[in-house]
Amino acid sequence: MKKTIQIPLGSQHISLLEPIRFKFECENEKIIGVDADVGFVHRGVELACTRSFEFKQVGYVVARVCGLCAITHSLSYTLAVEKLLGYEANDRIKYLRMLMVELDRIHSHMLCLAHTAENAGFEALFMQIMGDRELIMDVQEAISGNRVQFDYISIGGVNRDMTPELTALIHKNLRLLSDKIDALIGLFDNNWSLSLKYKGVGVLSLKDAYTYNALGPLARAAGLATDVRAETNDFPYETLGYQMILESSGDIHARNFVRLREIVNSMEICRNIIDNLPVGEIQEKAKGKPNGEAVVRVEAPRGELFYLVRGNGQNMLERVRIKTPTFSAIPAMMEVFKGSEYADAPAILASFDPCMSCTAK
Amino acid sequence: MRKIETSLAALLNDIGVFYVPKEWHFLSVNGIDLGGGKIELQWIFSKYGVKDEIVIYYALSDYDTPVPSIVDLIPSAIMGEREIVDMFGLKVDGAAKGLYLDKDSMKYPLRGEA
Repeated sequence: MKKTIQIPLGSQHISLLEPIRFKFECENEKIIGVDADVGFVHRGVELACTRSFEFKQVGYVVARVCGLCAITHSLSYTLAVEKLLGYEANDRIKYLRMLMVELDRIHSHMLCLAHTAENAGFEALFMQIMGDRELIMDVQEAISGNRVQFDYISIGGVNRDMTPELTALIHKNLRLLSDKIDALIGLFDNNWSLSLKYKGVGVLSLKDAYTYNALGPLARAAGLATDVRAETNDFPYETLGYQMILESSGDIHARNFVRLREIVNSMEICRNIIDNLPVGEIQEKAKGKPNGEAVVRVEAPRGELFYLVRGNGQNMLERVRIKTPTFSAIPAMMEVFKGSEYADAPAILASFDPCMSCTAK
Repeated sequence: MRKIETSLAALLNDIGVFYVPKEWHFLSVNGIDLGGGKIELQWIFSKYGVKDEIVIYYALSDYDTPVPSIVDLIPSAIMGEREIVDMFGLKVDGAAKGLYLDKDSMKYPLRGEA
C-alpha cells in the first residue's frame, strides 16, 4: 500500500478569494481523494428572509447574498414574487433587467479569467484583465448608481431609466472592451506557457458532467448543452442574439474559452438591448401579497440560480429557498480534483469560479 | 411546474424510475416546515433543453423519521441532503451534520419551533 499524505488548501489561502477548505489526500503529487468544507461564511439568509423581513424588503436582503451576482439574486426573487402576485413586467422592464444581468455576466467572467491567470502565475495578465473589467463596472455604476450592491431591480420594475447619455456610454465602453476581449482570446488561445497550465488540466468529462449535475460554464465546457437562458420563457433571449456557447474538452482551457466567448455574446446582447429598447414605464404596480408557491431559474454567471418562494397571503413569507450555482457544482469540482496534480489545484479551483458567499448564504 | 406526491418509503423507487441523467437535471433538495412537527421535503428536477419543465417530488415527514438518501442515484444530492440535516435537524442516511453549522450544534434554524 502506498503512503499517502493529507495536504490542506484553505480556509485562508493566497489562491482563494473567499474561504473554503479542501483536504487533499495525495499520493506523491497526485490527488487521490478530496474533502471540502464550504460553510465558513454562513449568514442565515434564508432564515432572515422569512423571520426578519417582509416580502417587499427581501429583494434587498437576497442581493446581499453575493457581491458579484447581486443582480441575479434580486432578479430571481423578484420574478418569483411577481409570479405569485400574477404580475408580468412590460418589455422595457424585461430588457433593462436583462441588460444588467448580461453586464454582470461580463464582469464576473472577467474576474474569473483574471483570477485563473493569477493562479497560473500570470500576475500581469491578472492586472490587465481587472483593469479592463472596470469598463463594465463603470457602466453598471452609471446605470444603477451603485458599484457593487446595485439594488436596481424591485418588485414591479427597475429603479432607474435609461438615458441617451447612458446609451452612449454603454456603446463606447462595449466598443473599447470588444478590442480588449479579442486580444485576450488570441492570448488565451495561442500563448504557449498559458496552454501548458490550462490544456488537458482539470478535465471534467461529459459523462461526469451529467453524473454530477454540472451547470453553467463548467457544464458547457464539457459539452453539456444546458443554459437557463435557453430553458425558460421569462426573457426573450433568442430575439436578442443569444447563442449557447459550448466546448468539448472540459479542461481549464475550455472553461476559459466558454467564458471568453460568452463575454462576446453578452456584449452583442447588450448592444441589441439598448438599440431596441421598447417604450414603456419602468415601474408598475404589482399589487397584493404573495400566496402560493413559485419557482424561478435564472442563468447567473456561474450557472443556474434557483429560487423557490412560498407565501400565504401575509407580509411574511413561509419559505425562501436559494440554490446557488457553486453549491450545486461542489460535487463535480471534487471529482475533477481526483487524479490531478496538487500543484495544479489552485488554477483548477479558480477555473471553477467558486463563490462561497453564494454557497454558504 | 408539476408536483408529484410520494412518500419516504416509496421515494427511492419513484426517483429511480423517474430520473434519467441525460434527460433530467437535479436541482435541489428542499425542506419546508409546515408547523406541528411536520416537514414537506422536496426533490426538484428540470428537464434539459425544454422550457420551464420543472418536476417536484414531495413527501411529508416529521422531525424524527429517517429520510432515505438518493445519493446512490444522484451523487450531487449530497450537498442538499447535508443542508437539510443542518437546517432542519433531520436524519439522512450518510449525510453528516456540519455543512454550515458546528458538528455539535443543537440548533435547527429552519424549524418552525426555532
